[in-house]
Amino acid sequence: MSTRSYGLPTGFVTLMRREVLRYIRRPRNTFMPPLITNVLYFSVFGVILGNRVGEIQGVSYILFLLPGLVVLGAISNSFENSSFSIFHGRWNEYIQATTTSPLSYTHMVLAYVLSSALRGVLIGILITGVGAIFTSVTVRNPFYLVAFILVITVLFSALGVVGGLWARDFDYLTVMNQFLLRPLVFFGGIFYSLEVLPTLWFYVSLLNPMVYMVNGVRYGFLGADAVDVGPNAALVVLTTAAVAVVALDIVLFRRGYGLTE
Amino acid sequence: MSAIETEDLRKRYGDLQALKGVSLEVDEGEFFGLLGPNGAGKTTFINILVGLVKKSGGEARVFGYDVEDDYREARDAIGLAPQEFNVDRFFPIREVLVHKAGYHGVPKDVAEERADEALRTVGIYDKRDTRFHWLSGGMKRRFMLARAMVTDPDLLILDEPTAGVDVQLRHDLWEIITRMNEEGTTVLLTTHYIEEAERLCDRVGILDEGEVVEVSSPDELMSRGTDTVRVTLAGEIDAVPSALNGKVNGGADADGYEARVEDGELVVETRNAGATLAEVMRALDDAGHDVVDVEMSRTSLEEIFVEVTRDHGDVTRAPEGDA
Ligand SMILES: Nc1ncnc2c1ncn2[C@@H]1O[C@H](COP(=O)(O)OP(=O)(O)O)[C@@H](O)[C@H]1O
Ligand SMILES: [Mg+2]
Repeated sequence: MSTRSYGLPTGFVTLMRREVLRYIRRPRNTFMPPLITNVLYFSVFGVILGNRVGEIQGVSYILFLLPGLVVLGAISNSFENSSFSIFHGRWNEYIQATTTSPLSYTHMVLAYVLSSALRGVLIGILITGVGAIFTSVTVRNPFYLVAFILVITVLFSALGVVGGLWARDFDYLTVMNQFLLRPLVFFGGIFYSLEVLPTLWFYVSLLNPMVYMVNGVRYGFLGADAVDVGPNAALVVLTTAAVAVVALDIVLFRRGYGLTE
Repeated sequence: MSAIETEDLRKRYGDLQALKGVSLEVDEGEFFGLLGPNGAGKTTFINILVGLVKKSGGEARVFGYDVEDDYREARDAIGLAPQEFNVDRFFPIREVLVHKAGYHGVPKDVAEERADEALRTVGIYDKRDTRFHWLSGGMKRRFMLARAMVTDPDLLILDEPTAGVDVQLRHDLWEIITRMNEEGTTVLLTTHYIEEAERLCDRVGILDEGEVVEVSSPDELMSRGTDTVRVTLAGEIDAVPSALNGKVNGGADADGYEARVEDGELVVETRNAGATLAEVMRALDDAGHDVVDVEMSRTSLEEIFVEVTRDHGDVTRAPEGDA
């Protein structure tokens, strides 16, 4: 237990490696679906529809769309990865080999969260790459782009851990994705600018956390800012949320929620 | 120091009291068998030690480490082969072992050596690149043992490791486990094959309906049962020969016995058939009886086990750690 690699505890590094290899070794499952989906999004919304929409907030529609699609891909893959990995391990009971090991609960959680966040980041890069085929991509505020991507992938990976512990069946995973994640995402200003909304709906939309994520990433890419919430405030709130959910994960692991009888 | 020490360990699942205050001590280096019928609470007991089940009350320590407060140290000492298969489906078995060793802090290169060694020990090295799912039933059992030993545990816990395996494999597994125990690993084994306990264990604890009803060595347990000696004499008899009457003392002592006539034969019940037989024969000879045939049946541990668990309500609890 005292042995270390890369200055990190071996147990943590091993679980992290296991979790990353699980999806890296299955590229067709990991990278093909987001690749195809986003080629479709960019073609249909960006090119075909974009020509009619014209400019939004001073940029072409396809460029406006890109940050939103990156957010969508990054968070849904982060969430799906951690929730699936944990639930699948529980369902088939092999997660027991991990949970009965001398890893600290914090290390277990961090390995699941960070490996899933990495998947979200990789998918985000992939989508940016797809976007670059359709239009020239700029990064105006690299710091904010990286910061927002890291924070939201960690946040959704951590939420996925809760989902994976809570699920009693594979249906639960589908439900969480379809009925919680998707609506939040679609009303989060990925496909439209909040400015086009009637006043009431504009303010209702501000209650949707997704708005700030999309807005932050858009700020990173385009430098444009559609909402009256500065990226710094959003970053602070989202970071707080991410830390809080990771802490919740650790508490759940310690209590054995979904993992012990 | 004790390898395992529990005090008044309790577990409730809803309304069901699965463990009703189990106090047990397994010494370091010991080969301990936990026996009991299905549903006795054996798996629950084990799962509390590794953290898969949360105890409802009492204490449990592994090498002095509390299983909850010092969970990392306690778990580091344990290698578990659970009753049900629970093996990572995404990776070939060699890699599963490397991961398991890694979780225990073994660096990758050492973990790879350990994995190969464990696979060779259980005899499935040539299957190292196969996923668990594709192994045969026997190989799966072998793999479970390999995974339990890959972390070089001080306490090896085997939950019904030989359930449903053929004789050959059972003996192979026994040999490996015995060797590990001889090299100093403490072993806790649950089983309902009595022969297994008798062959392997230094001590056995019998668990029934969540209570320890007996802890002793297999030999002690065997001597607890009643052996029967059936003597056929030349000509039917209808009363116990007087030479034997004086010896009857109710069978309470190690050398006591009780004789009666059954179907014209002499039936002697005794604690220890070996010792009694000579005495009976001498008495009969002295009295001038001709012995035609002698049939002796020793109690099996099986019978004792059935007896102990059947009426454990009236069985007094054995003193702890008397072996
Ligand atoms: N997760 C659970 N929920 C409810 N009851 C359980 C659970 N696990 C075990 N039991 C019950 O607890 C008792 C002890 O089970 P177990 O420890 O598996 O016994 P054994 O391993 O000796 O066969 C049984 O009556 C069993 O049905
Ligand atoms: Mg069991």
